[in-house]
Amino acid sequence: MTSFSAAAPPNGDRRTPMQRLAARLEPWLYSAPVLILIVAIMLVPLALGVSYAFRDIKLLNPFSGGFVGLKHFRELASDSAFRGALINTLWWTFSSVILQFLFGLILALLLNQPFKGRALAQALCFLPWAVPSFLSGLDWAWMFNPVVGPIPHWLYALGIMSEPSNILSDPKTAMWGPIVANVWWGIPFFAITMLAALQAIPKDLYEAAEIDGAGPIERFRSITVPFLAPTMAISILLRTVWIANFADLIIVMTNGGPADRTQIVASYIFTQAFRRLDFGYASAIALVLLVLLLAYSMLIVVLRQTMLSRH
Amino acid sequence: MASITIEAITKTFGAVPVLHDIDLSIGDGEFVVLVGPSGCGKSTLLRMIAGLEDITAGEIRIDDRRINEVAPKDRDIAMVFQSYALYPHMTVADNMSYSLKLRKTAREKIAEAVGAAAGKLGLDPLLARRPKALSGGQRQRVAMGRAIVRHPKAFLFDEPLSNLDARLREQMRAEIKRLHKSIGATSVYVTHDQIEAMTLADRIVAMHGGIIQQVGNPLDLYDRPANLFVAGFIGSPAMNFVEGHCRAGVIETTDGSKVAIPEGIHLTEGQAVTIGIRPEHVRIVAGSEAGSYTARVDLVEPTGFGTIVHVRLLGQDLKIYTLERGVAVVGQPLHIALDSTRLHLFDRETTNRIG
Repeated sequence: MTSFSAAAPPNGDRRTPMQRLAARLEPWLYSAPVLILIVAIMLVPLALGVSYAFRDIKLLNPFSGGFVGLKHFRELASDSAFRGALINTLWWTFSSVILQFLFGLILALLLNQPFKGRALAQALCFLPWAVPSFLSGLDWAWMFNPVVGPIPHWLYALGIMSEPSNILSDPKTAMWGPIVANVWWGIPFFAITMLAALQAIPKDLYEAAEIDGAGPIERFRSITVPFLAPTMAISILLRTVWIANFADLIIVMTNGGPADRTQIVASYIFTQAFRRLDFGYASAIALVLLVLLLAYSMLIVVLRQTMLSRH
Repeated sequence: MASITIEAITKTFGAVPVLHDIDLSIGDGEFVVLVGPSGCGKSTLLRMIAGLEDITAGEIRIDDRRINEVAPKDRDIAMVFQSYALYPHMTVADNMSYSLKLRKTAREKIAEAVGAAAGKLGLDPLLARRPKALSGGQRQRVAMGRAIVRHPKAFLFDEPLSNLDARLREQMRAEIKRLHKSIGATSVYVTHDQIEAMTLADRIVAMHGGIIQQVGNPLDLYDRPANLFVAGFIGSPAMNFVEGHCRAGVIETTDGSKVAIPEGIHLTEGQAVTIGIRPEHVRIVAGSEAGSYTARVDLVEPTGFGTIVHVRLLGQDLKIYTLERGVAVVGQPLHIALDSTRLHLFDRETTNRIG
């Protein structure tokens, strides 16, 4: 009896240390290819970029590259162009997202109605999304140009403008140019996601609500909105981060001008890095933008989680 | 409570006709079941009563009031959907009170109505839950509760039990019947399940191909089906059909066997007929007797209470439903008698009942 219990070690493990190590390493070996890929193409560049923020890297100065600590950030704190760009970023991002969302939702609601030629209409409405952003930026820049484009003349004819001028060259209105282009370009994204969510709502619910006495507005409020809410939240989050980082249209249409009035943080980074070739300072700005967007994303993720857990 | 009158209703989807000239009147407090295979137009007819489908031609009246153009919410009807169609983001109580809230009913009245309905359906402990946290049977009950709280003129049920498992379906079937007895509201119930139709209905409307095949109380449809469709649809296991011709005063079946023509029925010489025999009306007899047949047993299906025996007879795979056990052994001969008073005869051209 006693020899029985003495025969087996307390944990029952008879493997050699080598075998145990191999077993421990096994899952890591299986996932190694993916881990190496992630580290090589995501983490290394990220770490490099972050390290630039603390180094003096100017492409035109062969003696630069030394560690400068928080110098860039101290500079940033007193950089009024950066502060202006931050405010412009808020302005650019939120008006673009809100307008894209509103028009996208309206478009999705319209496309969700049965009508003849709906498939064709759907395809056409999603066309702007397929246009390269640089091309749409150029298109809109020309449309706002009174020499070749019709928009200033229309605005003049409607009495909104006192003379057909280019809104992109007026510091007061310049920001609206890229915003309009961005809204036009981004509506399909919201329309597609909202339409997909709309089509997932069971039709019976609307019928039941109709019998229960709910009118169109009440049905929208009590069925459509609750069903769309999670999709709305996640797509607005995605688009906000995306648009805050999205400098293409601004670079093409106004290049940040006039007088930095359309300079957003993303285009400011581009200007610092590729016009003034100051990679260190550009990286510092990028790091600040990254932190801000991370904070924002966390906020929205938490919001979405609480919203989903309520359901 | 109200009566519903359906007059010369026709419905087409585009060029596709789904209902042809339907006439039906449903009395106050009556429980009418529309039954038929899928695609027969029964759900469409129900949805037209509810106002969820346009009426192509004809008229529907609730209590002498034409409702063709009346919006669903103003028809004062309640509907229970197959999918239950509960609002997923509302609690059970909110689901049930939604229609009353929209009608600006006083808060105390709503609480009272919801309480009463919940009590009737045993939903009290579930009132604060959301539909996601309910089982299928509970959801079904909430859907019924939502209909009851409003005290509508009529209840419309669109296959309300088809998403439940067999046991629950049986239980809810009895519950719906009990509920109807206690509330007494006019009800129109759509199902493809003939057992549900038989058990629930005051009157069954059997439909096929967009046409009403027969209207009557359940036992009438069982005892005297008006045509081949109703004969084959009502009853389980389904009725046996044997094809034959009238020859020299008897019916000669395809395999040459002869079946006596039931009394009081006149057939013309050479008339093509179909004989209908319910499996439960085929008798197994001990030995060969006058007018009996002998057949070899093909298959035996015990169902517990009774046994379904398949034999090869009259050129057919004939089913026999018997309550006696062990009388049939596969491969052994069986003596069978057909009760001539229990035979149904149908004209094969028109498919209508003869006599």
